[in-house]
Amino acid sequence: MVDSKQQWKAWLYLAPAIVLLLIFTVWPIINTVVLAFTEKYSTLANTGGTSFRIGFGNFTDVVGYSGFLDALKITMILCVATVPISTILALLIAVALNAIKPLRKALQTIFFLPYVTNSIAIGMVFNAMFNMIGKIGIRRPKIQSFGIINDIIRFFGGTEINWINTGSDEWANILVLIIYIVWNALPFKILVLLGGLQSINKQYYDAAKVDAAPRWKVLTRITVPLLSPMIAYVVITGFIGGFKEYTSIVGIFGETMGPPHDAGRLNTIVGMIYDSLENNLVGRASAAALILFGIILIVTLINLQVSKKRVHY
Amino acid sequence: MSRSAYDTIRDSMDKKEQNKQKFSAGYRAAHFFGQAGIYLFLIVMALIVLFPFYWMIISSLKSLPEYKETIPTFWPRQIIWQNYANAFTTANLGVLFKNTLIVGVVSTLLSVFITIITAFAFARLEFKGKETLFAALLATMMIPGELFTITNYSTVISFGWLNTYTVLIVPFLVSVFYIYLLRQNFLQIPNELYLAAKVDGTSDWKYLWKVMVPLALPTLISITILKMMGAWNSYIWPRLVANKEEYQLITNGLRNAFKEAGTGDVDYPLQMAAVTLVSIPLFLVFVFLRKYIMAGVSRSGIKG
Amino acid sequence: MKIVLENLTKVFPSRNKKSNDEVIAVNNFNFEIPDGKLIGLLGPSGCGKSTTLYMISGLQKPTGGKIFFGDEDVTELSTERRGIGLVFQNYALYPHMTVKQNILFPLQNLKGEEKMTKDQMLERAYEAARLVQIDELMDRKPSELSGGQQQRVAIARALAKMPRVLLLDEPLSNLDARLRLQTREEIRRIQKETGITTVFVTHDQEEAMSISDMIVVMKLGVVQQIGEPQNVYDSPANLFVAKFLGTPPINVFRGRVQGGKLFIGEAEVMDVQGVKDQAVTVGIRPEGFVLDENGPLSCKLSNVEVMGRDVSIVSTHEESLNPIIRSIINADHKVNLASETVRYTLKPHKVFLFHAETEDRIYFGKTEEA
Repeated sequence: MVDSKQQWKAWLYLAPAIVLLLIFTVWPIINTVVLAFTEKYSTLANTGGTSFRIGFGNFTDVVGYSGFLDALKITMILCVATVPISTILALLIAVALNAIKPLRKALQTIFFLPYVTNSIAIGMVFNAMFNMIGKIGIRRPKIQSFGIINDIIRFFGGTEINWINTGSDEWANILVLIIYIVWNALPFKILVLLGGLQSINKQYYDAAKVDAAPRWKVLTRITVPLLSPMIAYVVITGFIGGFKEYTSIVGIFGETMGPPHDAGRLNTIVGMIYDSLENNLVGRASAAALILFGIILIVTLINLQVSKKRVHY
Repeated sequence: MSRSAYDTIRDSMDKKEQNKQKFSAGYRAAHFFGQAGIYLFLIVMALIVLFPFYWMIISSLKSLPEYKETIPTFWPRQIIWQNYANAFTTANLGVLFKNTLIVGVVSTLLSVFITIITAFAFARLEFKGKETLFAALLATMMIPGELFTITNYSTVISFGWLNTYTVLIVPFLVSVFYIYLLRQNFLQIPNELYLAAKVDGTSDWKYLWKVMVPLALPTLISITILKMMGAWNSYIWPRLVANKEEYQLITNGLRNAFKEAGTGDVDYPLQMAAVTLVSIPLFLVFVFLRKYIMAGVSRSGIKG
Repeated sequence: MKIVLENLTKVFPSRNKKSNDEVIAVNNFNFEIPDGKLIGLLGPSGCGKSTTLYMISGLQKPTGGKIFFGDEDVTELSTERRGIGLVFQNYALYPHMTVKQNILFPLQNLKGEEKMTKDQMLERAYEAARLVQIDELMDRKPSELSGGQQQRVAIARALAKMPRVLLLDEPLSNLDARLRLQTREEIRRIQKETGITTVFVTHDQEEAMSISDMIVVMKLGVVQQIGEPQNVYDSPANLFVAKFLGTPPINVFRGRVQGGKLFIGEAEVMDVQGVKDQAVTVGIRPEGFVLDENGPLSCKLSNVEVMGRDVSIVSTHEESLNPIIRSIINADHKVNLASETVRYTLKPHKVFLFHAETEDRIYFGKTEEA
């Protein structure tokens, strides 16, 4: 039996957390759901005593809003491109790190470095690397500096690309974002996968050696299946992170969320939520947040379902 | 056994032996080239990963004209340390550093304290509805933070907290994930230690701070660092609620200080110097506390 | 400090919410532990011995009954105010503290009049450490100590605050065989030197018998017998106690009493005056057999194990409730290995009769009641 003195004490220990959670977590959940279903809500009118219609207005508003579909498109493209690329790359690097002895610690540290960065700050560095300086986007551009990436492309005989400046192509913008996001996502994935690799029993590899299995076969037939729970984990967290992408775009393109001539074309769902919020469209922001939650939930469930079939424990 | 039969067997054995040698030599060669290939791959990847850092640092030391040259230089002809001093004043980094430090330290201390006592209650104390409450707490981790931000924004406005340190500290003091992490760690501490401490005349409170906290120290250090890094890197919430310069945090100030003016001409070396200054504390923390960061991150999957 | 247990009962509610089966861990335990004695609580696992110890410590609250230390009723007193020392089965040393810090820890928690200065505490800690001979190890961490040393630290920590009662939970179970012998002597010595009333729990009857002043044999929450080890061994109160004590274990037969005679099978093996005719269970200690070519009890000889001073004869009998019968006799007696049978007469004081159903002891003849 739990005596009452212990009860009382336990709640005392819990009190700070519970109070804060009630205000900043529980209430927002309730309120957001309410706001999402309250049509044309405004704080000002609310204090004036106006009553609002309950309905799906905000949701149809969000879905009908052209910005939403664009944001959804950008978010999806970034997710679908970056998660597989970064996972495969991280897997290769982790396997390679696991296969060497000298220099492993040093290389491991280097590969972890992008994690301990400020995504806005390093976004600005990527901006500088892809940025051209000069008169750009006019009929007869006069470019002074192409940016180091274009310099490297030109060195190998290619022609420069307008990555992020005025007049740049949307796909070029997205490619830059993919490169940055993958660069940023690698450390976590490498860390988790390497941890997983190191916990695999060495006997499997000895057995494979006895069977004279070639390297690639060892990778695809032994390592990947045994690592599948970790791979599933980084894929799921990768998707969740991908759907919440926002700051890396601010880092490279600034708060305009796009190149100077077409601001906002790289906006994501999260970006849209904040835009709505800043424009006092609380209902729309709430509905968009709920839609985001729904998407993340569905993607996670799909991932779990797939991994249930494919993950070998 | 006839002689010929004996010879046949011997021959076949020799062949096997030769095969084996050939095989192992081939295998060794393959192993060597394989190993060299692995190193080549890793080093190329490492260079790609490092390149932005290298570019950031050398750009920060160049003069603006040198930066703008059509043929880039890979090492500054003349090292301009003055960029750093200029960056510091241009971006008003002094105030930004101070604000970030205050918010980071205070919110980390409070947050770690709340995490400790909450995790202790869930791990050690008995009360009605413990399991249900804990499950409910974990469920909130599923929900994206953006969903909370909307209401929290109007909540802090109604509290009159806009442009204060409070608004940057209080709303995110409770991290369910860290509570979960620490509770798991606390649960690994054997029950006998608690009973022994009871016999030794210790109160729950003293047991928590004298036994459990020291034993969970590695996890607590991880949590502290990640929380600090979170404050250093936070961008969205501060942008919403603290836009006055005297309360701005480092990330916001940094992005806004170098907004392209009408001319579109940014002093890139200065910008890179500021970015380097912002990155250095993170690198220092990383160099000295790598073990704890990596341990914490591999369990969390949460950036900052 | 004497300890009095009065109708002590502990009932655990059922784990399964649907069924209402409660587990009675300790049932109506009455016992007065005399001051300054070493008491062994003995029984198979699940017999309630640890629960009893934990109730004395205050870590578990009894469902019913009372506990007195001396004349003071401590039933409602919390652990930290009972002034006990407890050594845990796995020692429960604080892993992040040195040996010294571990021993000092309970002293630092003393309050009120008992509060000590730093020097007093250190002195006390070293005194306790010297008593268990670990004063050389004071600056080590528990992980740097062997199992036996950790055990000593745990005892020193329990002793440092000069407890009114020292409690030990399976103190020897985590030690290897050689250390176990050594440590049990050590516990005996420390207990004698300090004179602290000590209760320890064990499932190992040899351990309990060898060092206790008194043993308490328990089964399924019920006390079976209390007494000095030799007395309990020589005069078990029931079949359970008889079977639980003694290595090699007691030999058990189906038998019956008819006209003051004990029969095993068709053989009349012994006089048992004053016992009325009934079916009985017969317990015979291994040392209760005497080789006798004309003896009444005839067993099928299996083999003979030589153990130096003694020999152990393994045989079988149809009425035996165990697969084999083991008797121990002096090595001077020669056993004819070629023979198919071996015949015994019995030493009456090594033979115990038990009621066939209740398994309670049936006393007979000259054997005095315990």
